[in-house]
Parts: sequence; C-alpha cells; structure tokens
Amino acid sequence: MNTFLITMAWRETRAAWRHFFYFLTCIAVGVGALVGVSLFSAHLGQAVTKEARGLLGGDLEIRLSRRISRDGHAYLTSLSDRDIAMTHVSELIGMAAHVHGIQSGGQPSQIVEIKAVEELYPFYGTLRLEPDRPLWELLQVQPAGCPGQPCWGAVVQESLLIRMGLAVGQPLTIGQATFLITGVVRTEPDRMANAFSLGPRVLIAQDGLRATDLVKLGSRVRERYLLKTTLTAKIEPLLYELRGRLAAESARVSTYRDAQPQLKQFLEQLTRYLGLIGLTALFVGGMGVATSVRAFLREKLATIAILKTVGADSPTIIKTYAAQALLLGLTGSVAGLALGIGLEQAVPWMLSSWFASDMLDQIGFTSGLSLHLLMPLGKGLALGLLTTMLFALWPLLAIRSVKPVALLRRDALTAETPPHSTDRTWRQNIARIDRTRLLTAGVIAIGLALLSMWQAEAWKIGLLFIGAFSLAIALLGGTAWVLITTLAAMAHPKQLAIRQAIGNIIRPGSQAISMTIAIGIGVMVIVTVALVERALLRQVGESRPADAPTFFFIDIQPDQADGMTRLLQDRSENHMPTLTPLVRSRLMAVNGQPIKKEATSEEEERAAQTADKDQRRQIWYLTREYALTFLDQLPKDNMIVKGEWWTPDQTFSKPMVSIEEEAAKALGLDIGQTLELDIQGTPLVAEVSSIRKVEWGNFSTNFYMILSPGALDEAPLTYVATVRVPPANEVSLQQAVVAEFPNVTAINIGDVLDSFARILDRLSLAIRAVALFCVLTGGLVMGAALAATRYRRLYESVVLKALGATRGLIIGSFAAEYLVLGIVGGLIGVGLASALSWALLRFIFELPWMLHLQVLFIGLGLTMCLTLIVGLLSTYRLLGQRPLAVLRHE
Amino acid sequence: MICVTQLSMSLAAGGRAVPILDNVSLEIPDKQMVAIVGPSGSGKSTLLGLMAGLDRPTAGSIVLDGQELTTMSESALARFRRAKIGYIFQSFHLIPTLTARENVAVPIELSGERGSDARAAELLDAVGLADRLDHYPVQLSGGEQQRVAVARAFACRPPFLFADEPTGNLDSTTGAQVINLLLTMHRDYGTTLVLVTHDRGLAGHMQRIVSLRDGRIESDQLTDSRT
Repeated sequence: MNTFLITMAWRETRAAWRHFFYFLTCIAVGVGALVGVSLFSAHLGQAVTKEARGLLGGDLEIRLSRRISRDGHAYLTSLSDRDIAMTHVSELIGMAAHVHGIQSGGQPSQIVEIKAVEELYPFYGTLRLEPDRPLWELLQVQPAGCPGQPCWGAVVQESLLIRMGLAVGQPLTIGQATFLITGVVRTEPDRMANAFSLGPRVLIAQDGLRATDLVKLGSRVRERYLLKTTLTAKIEPLLYELRGRLAAESARVSTYRDAQPQLKQFLEQLTRYLGLIGLTALFVGGMGVATSVRAFLREKLATIAILKTVGADSPTIIKTYAAQALLLGLTGSVAGLALGIGLEQAVPWMLSSWFASDMLDQIGFTSGLSLHLLMPLGKGLALGLLTTMLFALWPLLAIRSVKPVALLRRDALTAETPPHSTDRTWRQNIARIDRTRLLTAGVIAIGLALLSMWQAEAWKIGLLFIGAFSLAIALLGGTAWVLITTLAAMAHPKQLAIRQAIGNIIRPGSQAISMTIAIGIGVMVIVTVALVERALLRQVGESRPADAPTFFFIDIQPDQADGMTRLLQDRSENHMPTLTPLVRSRLMAVNGQPIKKEATSEEEERAAQTADKDQRRQIWYLTREYALTFLDQLPKDNMIVKGEWWTPDQTFSKPMVSIEEEAAKALGLDIGQTLELDIQGTPLVAEVSSIRKVEWGNFSTNFYMILSPGALDEAPLTYVATVRVPPANEVSLQQAVVAEFPNVTAINIGDVLDSFARILDRLSLAIRAVALFCVLTGGLVMGAALAATRYRRLYESVVLKALGATRGLIIGSFAAEYLVLGIVGGLIGVGLASALSWALLRFIFELPWMLHLQVLFIGLGLTMCLTLIVGLLSTYRLLGQRPLAVLRHE
Repeated sequence: MICVTQLSMSLAAGGRAVPILDNVSLEIPDKQMVAIVGPSGSGKSTLLGLMAGLDRPTAGSIVLDGQELTTMSESALARFRRAKIGYIFQSFHLIPTLTARENVAVPIELSGERGSDARAAELLDAVGLADRLDHYPVQLSGGEQQRVAVARAFACRPPFLFADEPTGNLDSTTGAQVINLLLTMHRDYGTTLVLVTHDRGLAGHMQRIVSLRDGRIESDQLTDSRT
C-alpha cells in the first residue's frame, strides 16, 4: 500500500509540474525569507561567540567610570604574581582640532571617541591597521613628527581624515597635546559593535592621553582593565574574587562569556522579529498552497472517482495526494534553501552599503557555509514541509465527498438526503458536525501555533504571533466579505467590462476573499513598518521643540565655567546659555539597605539570569550611573507629583533629593525615605523631599535626581552647557570653544539625531526587505487563485469573443477586476496597518499615533499596481485563444 | 450470487425526489451472464451502479457473495470493490495521467500484490495491446481505451464484473472485438458478468436478459445462449 502511495503521488506529479508553479514558488519564497534570516542570525551568533574574547578584549574586564583607587590598583597589579596579565584602556570623548596654522580644508574641529591603550592591548582579536605595523609602535612619540615639537603617534578612523581634510603624516591636537597621525584603523575587536557612535575613533597611548590633560576630576571617562589568565585557569573563581575585592570601587566585572550582552540581545531580538516576518511570508505562501491544492483536486475529480471505483478508499487517496503535496513541499523548500543561502550571501554586501560602520567586519562576520548551518537549514526545510502539510490538509478533506457514482451521473442530480428538520435537537446538531473536519481544524491550529513557537523560540511570543496572525486573517476575511457583498448589492454599472469584472469577483468560488487576505497581509506588514518608522523619526526629529539647544558642551571644569558662559553669550546672539553643575554617582543603599550590584557567586549569577522584565528594570535602576545636580529652581518641563520643591530661602539640615517618578517607583522610594549615593568615592545620604514627572523628549539636561543647593559643595563637579545658535554659527562656535577650552567636548544635537535617524532608516530597510517577501507571496497567492479559475475565465472570454466582444473589452474587464481586488486588499491592508501601528506605538514604544495619509495612499496605490500586474501577467495568455478551438472541446 | 431485494432509489432534482428505481428484486447466480436492457431513463445504469457498490440506495438490500453492501462503511465498500468487483464504463474512464500499463496496474497495486507491472503487461497482451503498454489514454483510440478498461477490470480476477454499455461509444467492429474479449475473459476467469446495453446483439450473447421500464422490472427471461 505504501508503495502505491508513493508511486501514485509521483505519477500524478510528473504530469502536472506546470500546475504547481505557484505551489512551489509560494513555499520557496517563504522558506527563502526564513532561511535567509536564520542563516544571518546563525552566522552572527557564531561570530559573536567565536570572537567573544575579542569583543571584550580579554578574558575578564573591570570597568569603572572614574579612576581606580590606589588600593584597587595595587590589588590589580598584584595579580601578575598569579600569571594574570593586565592592560589598561581608557575611553572618552573629546575634540580633535587642526594644529594652529595648518588648515587643509575640512572641518576645523571634530568630536572623536578617544581610546588610550598600553603595550599589551589587545589580548585577543585582530586589530587591522594601515600600515600593517604593531599598534604600540605607531603610538609612540614620533621624533620627526610635528613642527617644532615632539609629539605622540595617533591611529585614527578614516572618517576623521575625510571630515577634517587630514592625511596620514599630518598632525592634529587633542586637548593640550599634539599628535601625528601615523595610521588608519580598519577594525577594532573590542569596539562595541554598535552602529551608533558620536564620532570617529582615535587610538593613542596612555602617556599620550596624560599629555592631553583631558582627564580631570569628574571628567566623563570609562576606565577598563583587561585581564588575560592562563588557558587552564577556571575563570569564575577569579570573577567572584574580583567582584568582592573591588566592591568599593563601583566597578563592573564581567567575563568574555557575557561580553556585549546588549549587542547580543539586540541581534537576538532583531533576528527574532525578522524571523517572524519571514514566517508570515511562509504562512501567506501556505495560503497559496491551499489554493493550488484545491484547484488541482477540482481537476482531479474524475481520477479520484475512478480510483474509488477500482477500490481505493478515501484515506488511501488522501494519503496519496498528501504524499504528493509533501513531495512538492520538499521541492519548494529545497529551492527555498537555495534562495535563502543566496540571499544571505548578499547580506554582508547589502549591510556594508547600509551601515557606515563596518559592524560586520568588526565582529568577524562571514557568510561561508559550514556544518553549524545544518540546524538553521534543517529547520527551514522542516518549517517549509510542515507548513505545506498543514495548509494542504484542509482542501484534501474534500476528497472524501467525491463519490464513484459521479462517473455515472454527471448531471446536477445528487443523492437524496433526509429532508431538513427544523426541530432537530442540539444533540443531533452536534452529532451532525463532521468530526474529521473538527479534528483536522484542531490539528492545523495546534500545528501552526507550534511552528510559530518554534520559530520565535519563545512560547509566549509564538502564541502572540499566531494569535495576531489569526486575528488579522479573520479581520481581513470579514472586511473583504463585507466590502464584496456591499459591492455586489450596490454596483450595477452600465459598462459591460466593469459589470463583468464585478460579476467575476462576487460569484461563488471566485476566491476573491482569499486573494484579498493574502495581499492584505503583505500590505499590512510593510505599511506598518513604514508607519512605525515615521512615528519614531517624528519623535526624534520633528517633535524637537523650537527652542531645543544646538550644542551640549560637556566636561567644563569649575574654573572654566565663567569663561565658558562669557564665550557662549558673545557667540549665541543673546540666547542665554544654561550651565548646569553635574557629578556622576552610583547608588549605594536605599533606605539603609545596601545594594548588591553584581553576582559574587554562581547562585546569584543564576538568579540574575532568570530575572523577569520588572526585576531587570529594577536592577537597571539600582546599578546604573546617575548624573546628579543641585538646583534652586525646578527645571522647565518638570512637574512635582508628590511632596514639595524647596523654597528659595530654605535652609537644609541634611541633603534633600527630588527624584524622578519612574525611578522612585522602581527603587521603591517615597517622600521622607533615604538613599545613599557614592559620589566619586565619597558617600552622601539624602532624603527624598519630592517626586517629579520629567518630559524626557525636550532635549534639555534632565536628571533622575536633583539635590538641594549646597548638597554637592565638596563634590568634584563639572558643568554641562546647552546653547542654541543659528545653523550658520555652529562651526565657528565649536571652533572657538575648542580653541579656548581644548578639554571641553561639543556634542551637536543635530548630528546625533541625524545619526540616530540613519540607524533607524537602515534597520527599517532590513525589516522592509523581509516584509517585501510577504507582499511577494501575497502576489503569488493571487496568481495561484487566478490560475485556479483559468478554465472558467477562458471559457467566458471566448464566449464573449464569439458574441462579438473585442480583446480590449476583455482586457478592460480583467483589469477592472484586478483593480477592485487591489482596492479592497489595499484598503484593508492599510487600515489594519494603521490599527497595528497604533497598537505598537501606544503599547510598545509609548508614542502618539498620527494619521499618515501619504503613506496610506502610496500603500494603496502600490497594491493596486501589484494586483493589476500580477493579474494581467497570469491571465494574458487566455486572450490569444480562438473561440472555436476552445468551444469545440467543451 | 447477487441478491437484490426490494431496491428503491430516488434522487433529488429541483428540490423534489424523483424515483429512479422502484422496489426491484433480482437474484443472479454465480458465473451467470446477464444483460440489463430498457429505454433511456429506465434505471438500468443506476441498478448496475448500486449492485457494484458505487452508490447507496434509498431503500432495500443488495447482497454480493453473502455480504450486505448497503450497511458497509465507505472504506469497507472500497475494499470490497477492490477484491470482488470489476467495472467497465461506457466512456472508458481511464486515468489520463497514467500509461496503459499503469492504469491496469493500479487495482493490483491497491490490493498490495507484487509484480503489478508484469501482470499488467500480461493482461494488456491478452487484450491485444502488447505494443501499447507505455501509451497514454490520449494516444489510444476509443477501442484501445476500452480494451485497457477491460484489462483493468479483470486485473484482480474479480468474481463479479459489471459493464455499463461497454460498446456504446465504439463502432461496430471495435464493439464486436470488445464483446469477444468480455466473453473470453468470462470463460477464462469464471466471472459473473452483468452488463447494461441498448445493443440487442450484445444482449443476445448473454444467458439472461432483464428488461427495465420506469424503474421496475418489466421482464426477466433466460436466453438460449451458451458459452
């Protein structure tokens, strides 16, 4: 019997490859999208894991936001007795400027990300430099370097050379020191592989950094100590020892295993959601499979009846055609794998043109094929096969109702059924429900849910996805039905072509609803992406208040504050600059309860890893760094929601603090309670006197914690200044500040926003590229549905021709039909996209939603083009048929 | 033995029931050759289809080889047809996507027997189509297609063979060939043969002629035909 299934399935397929064009392409495109995404994700995961030590720069990293204490340093130095090598890296932002008198075009000054290193750096990973010489050599004092003075070497990113119009061999100044550019850095293993950066990289030696005099008390600098242990040593005991010994330093200690957690998390989330969009494409493709199977079986009624006559029962025939569907699903999926591999090969090329930074290079991404990829490939194949099976199952059930007697009676007669009885009980009604259909529906629903969970790799997200997918289908189907029935009831156009078109849509078995569902889903996905992107861009760009500052100047030393205020007043045309004192700190205790910052044992580590969203949020608030300030006046866009702001003449017996609403909630703080802060090594206890609501999007200096005046008198303060200047004055202002205060860094808000918008744009491009596959499969489903009605259309068109209709009239009627389908599918798609984007913005991004008529109209217009093109492409061949030849065969 | 008792069949047309067979009873002993004749619409094909288990009656009983067909499940009925019944249609009804040999092999494959290919070739040889094994139905003439259908009907050596106007779509020469084939096969395999025909000549070859009119048996007589 089993050989019969397979032989028969093969015989039925070999004669009908052409019929299965849409079946195969639907599955291939869906699987291709999924496999492309999961290969990319697998390669990234592989690169991140393989390069984990390189990404951290060592086996262990100690990270501080201030200089390490003498005791701490002594302890770290003592580690060398235990065969543990150490190197010190400092990272900070600063301003690079042309050396006075040497101006060679380009910007006079530029914000840069400085990294100061020692000889041993890097322990792991590859630093690609031009010229290909050891970094340490390039960073040494260059005797024949700068005019009139010896200077240090600096290796910079090429973008700095381009922006400042410099070349290797030319000098630049940073802070108080002059550097000779000795080389260009191409890739840097431990640069946070992040598309976002404030400026190009400048690598210098630690001694060079000292010469700049940039690092002062309270300066914003990240100190990193990288450790390399012997290969055999277990790393965890050392990790917990370091955490214990350095607890007083507010230091973060991590191993290469948890290197770049943000990067990993970001990549995981990105590829998870891209994967779900790919799954949407595959499920839409599944609808094409269902349509193709239904159409195929309709042509096979006689064959099925013959098989039943010669003794095949329904289960045997269903299994035969299921085997055929599997065979086709396998072929489609294998084609999909090839498509996915091809797509993924193109990814680095595409990404390199999208991302300005060489992110993929930095993490050592390659798209070569290897054994590790068997898993994603196997998963793609399995998802393709299972989706085929689940979507083919329902139409295959129709085989049961084919009776062998159909071969004897081809007329409209059907065997008499018992007359309908109106007084049937509910029990009888339930008994009449087709159990096989019910069971099959259950299997399909559970199967699709399981596939979603498998792809999402999280049951919650998988269920949410399949729920949303089903809801979208129900809404699309329902709305399509309402629109089409309304159309049928209302439209009685005079023109024959349009009447014919509407007749084609509303007739029973027209598949108009499944076509609009398939097209609507694709439109919905892609328009949603566009709408959310718009909203995000508007949030960062357009909603910028008119009085938002142009520059943030940071790291202004107390003795520079007056000079800075004067300079800014002179240059900013009466816009009063705001100087805010600032000091960085960490929380030590809340209500006397000390805060446990990092796990110092394996049990704690495990507990931290299983923390839920709320707990992680709390941990974030407990362990983050807080910028503190003291102010007399409540800043603008701040509103007291509980407690009271201090009065102008108030005297404070102890420091008071006003805390931001969300932070207060997460930390469990209320009025009258206390918190203890570590301010650069000095503890400070403050009492909560008020809770504030802050408008974070106002582009001003906002604070989680504001202390009462006088509370920070002894602290190592720096100032941050914000100022607004006309665009024409931006460069000269920056230039003047850099010339007078070389240690002050100028951050241009416009540049930051631009770079954010660019990243958003690239991300959205990646998402849209995958979403395009949903639209593509939607078009294929439409093609499949039109192919299913090919014979009826052929017959009708030749009858019309025989009655004297021109080819133009028939084309017109077809075009009108496809346009109506496009309008219905497009309207529902953009409508649902508006609802979905509203929900996403409201509940996930917490942003306001706005109607974007332009996006919606473009979406609708493109949908109409799509349906018109797909429709005409799949039916144009009918137009050439001669009436007599077709009618003779009827 | 085929035993039909008080068989009735009505079909719904335009919302009302149209009687096709009305209380028909009939017994056919093993190995008998019976022709069912009658004007168009008299219910001949319906009776034949019911006896072959292709359809279910509105009322009455059909017993073949001691088994009641009307109460069998769909799957049991299919298995019964596979083992016991061969059926030949007026319009051949070969599966268009299969070659002649594959068409004949299908019932053998379904029954799980080995060597279906060789057996199919043998059967096609017996009906004179040894050189047409790998031709598709569209490549065969009507007579050739009906001979393939005959070979298929005999593929599992069924004890009962039903033929619905087997020569209705053929010219007289080809029709005669097919009749001879049926008679030879009947003789070789000892099959009970029931056929529906308009063709008095063909009916004359049978041992018994049952005549239907308006869904009832009008006459039932033995002929002096011998085979």
